[in-house]
Amino acid sequence: MNGEERVRLFLENAAKAAAGTHLLPGPEALRDVLAGIVPPGVPVYCPGLTAAEEAVADLFPNRVADYADAAATVEEVFGAVAETGTLACASVDGRAVQAGLLPAHHVAIVRRDRIFAELDDLFAEVVSAPPTNLTLVTGPSRTADIELTLAIGVHGPERLDIIVV
Amino acid sequence: MNLGQTTLRFRQNSVRALEDVALRAAMKQAADTFGAKRAEAFAPVSDLEALRDRASGIRDEVLADLPRHVETFVASATRAGATVHRAKDAAAAREIVAKVLSDRGAKRIVKGKSMVSEEVDLNAHLEAAGMEVFETDLGEYIIQMAGESPSHIIVPAIHKNRRQIGRLFTERLGVPYTEDPQALTRIARGALREKFLSADAGISGANFAAADTGSLVLFTNEGNGRMVTTVPPLHVAILSVEKIIPSLSDLPAFLRLLPRSATGQAITAYVSVITGPRKPGDATGAKELHIVLLDNGRTEILAGESRDILKCIRCGACMNVCPVYRTVGGHAYGWTYPGPMGLILTTLLTGMAKSHPVVDASTLCGACAEVCPVRVPLVPLILQLRRRKVREGFPDPKERRVMAWFGRAAASPGWFSLGQRLAGIFWPLVRAVGGKDVAGRLPPPARIPFRRKAH
Ligand code: SF4
Repeated sequence: MNGEERVRLFLENAAKAAAGTHLLPGPEALRDVLAGIVPPGVPVYCPGLTAAEEAVADLFPNRVADYADAAATVEEVFGAVAETGTLACASVDGRAVQAGLLPAHHVAIVRRDRIFAELDDLFAEVVSAPPTNLTLVTGPSRTADIELTLAIGVHGPERLDIIVV
Repeated sequence: MNLGQTTLRFRQNSVRALEDVALRAAMKQAADTFGAKRAEAFAPVSDLEALRDRASGIRDEVLADLPRHVETFVASATRAGATVHRAKDAAAAREIVAKVLSDRGAKRIVKGKSMVSEEVDLNAHLEAAGMEVFETDLGEYIIQMAGESPSHIIVPAIHKNRRQIGRLFTERLGVPYTEDPQALTRIARGALREKFLSADAGISGANFAAADTGSLVLFTNEGNGRMVTTVPPLHVAILSVEKIIPSLSDLPAFLRLLPRSATGQAITAYVSVITGPRKPGDATGAKELHIVLLDNGRTEILAGESRDILKCIRCGACMNVCPVYRTVGGHAYGWTYPGPMGLILTTLLTGMAKSHPVVDASTLCGACAEVCPVRVPLVPLILQLRRRKVREGFPDPKERRVMAWFGRAAASPGWFSLGQRLAGIFWPLVRAVGGKDVAGRLPPPARIPFRRKAH
């Protein structure tokens, strides 16, 4: 599977799992897309740990230091898996993985060279030294505990947006 | 779960379940939905049989030398900074968890779904020690509120309909009545968020534990498993020893099989892989991680003829297709684990004296074995238990007497044809006495017996 196919399959499967998906033509487009996804003025947690996060941080005037107070988290994640449309969030470089859990809206930035074809490829990379926390995220939080009827947004985000750069 | 020595009342419970109209409707809907979703989820998997072979092979490999894999896991988890405790039985597990919590002054506990914690009856023990325990999986939250126990290992409140849940929320939480699942879910989210943020400790189970890395793996959809394991400062995980897999790189096979088998999803919304507690420089993870490895009879099962039941990955597929489970529901079985897998595990873990009635809870149709993703030989395992039941002298005495008579009569052509003739003569009487109950279920004897037609 070449890079283009991986990106296409990843986005297709992520959309099937009810994530919003956005494929950027170039890095400049990131600010425009984010401005369209995150409503102006809402409290946003954007840790500024990577170049991509730093480049967009000033878009959010109401940036909060504690993710528990945020309505949305905007962050770059460790990687993704095309096979299942899954994000791989990892506690590397001091990242708080639960920041993508508590706010109602999670916006994940994925670099296209970090999209693995299959789950096995991801685990092959981490197995020698797994981070304290590796969380695979596929779509928003959900339950079918009441009459097997799907309900979205139980304890985690009710909205997940994925931006591939 | 209560381990008292009273015999499980499977027959009596089943009769009651059959009279419960709401329960039967819920079970039917669940069975149909699961069946359809499972088939749909597996449709795009082209090499399913190879995948099942691989997963089954990994589970066989673990059981072939479980003690070694346990040792490896303990060493790896310890190296990653976790404290590992070995619990011989349920009482030991309860004591260990209670002590870890009370030594640290933990009072408010949030809990993710864990069948092993049900098996050892953990909540009651912690509550008796003065702690508050909040179930956070939506299904578990509902049944905890209702004071009941789970009736399905994946969907614990499957026996309740939306109207019952709506009324329960109104009564216990004082919210206006609604029966909309999305609205009820939102109410639970609000009520539980505050509990997560103020909890002293989180208790979780684990779907798998990787021996080579010492990692715990949790499959969840709601996000409560993630909350329980990352928000409170202390995380206690309780799991039974057979959950171990040799390597974290074995996980993809189970990631592909378990959610599809359980709920018909290609993968659960969340999969948490937790390797030790928070380390210097980390911003994620509990500050302290304790892992309780429960044996509770597994070592004994491993040495006996039923060891293959330990391959089970608790997906619940076998119960969803079981004609007995689908009719009577999970509570009728009377203990933690229902369905075909459950009747085997229940009998092995609680003993034949207590559990012999559930050994009957199968038609031996084989639907369970057909869907099992890791090829647990469910039918041979059930047959073994039935043989053991007879050997140990537990069949119903009335049934034994009737079967002995029938056996003798059937072995002699003279007695057999006399019996056939008598059945024809007495049929009207049987119908008159037995009423609709008998006539509706028992076919009338043939006017000309097959034996005579064949001659
Ligand atoms: S026996 Fe097989 S089908 Fe049944 S719960 Fe276990 S793994 Fe699933």
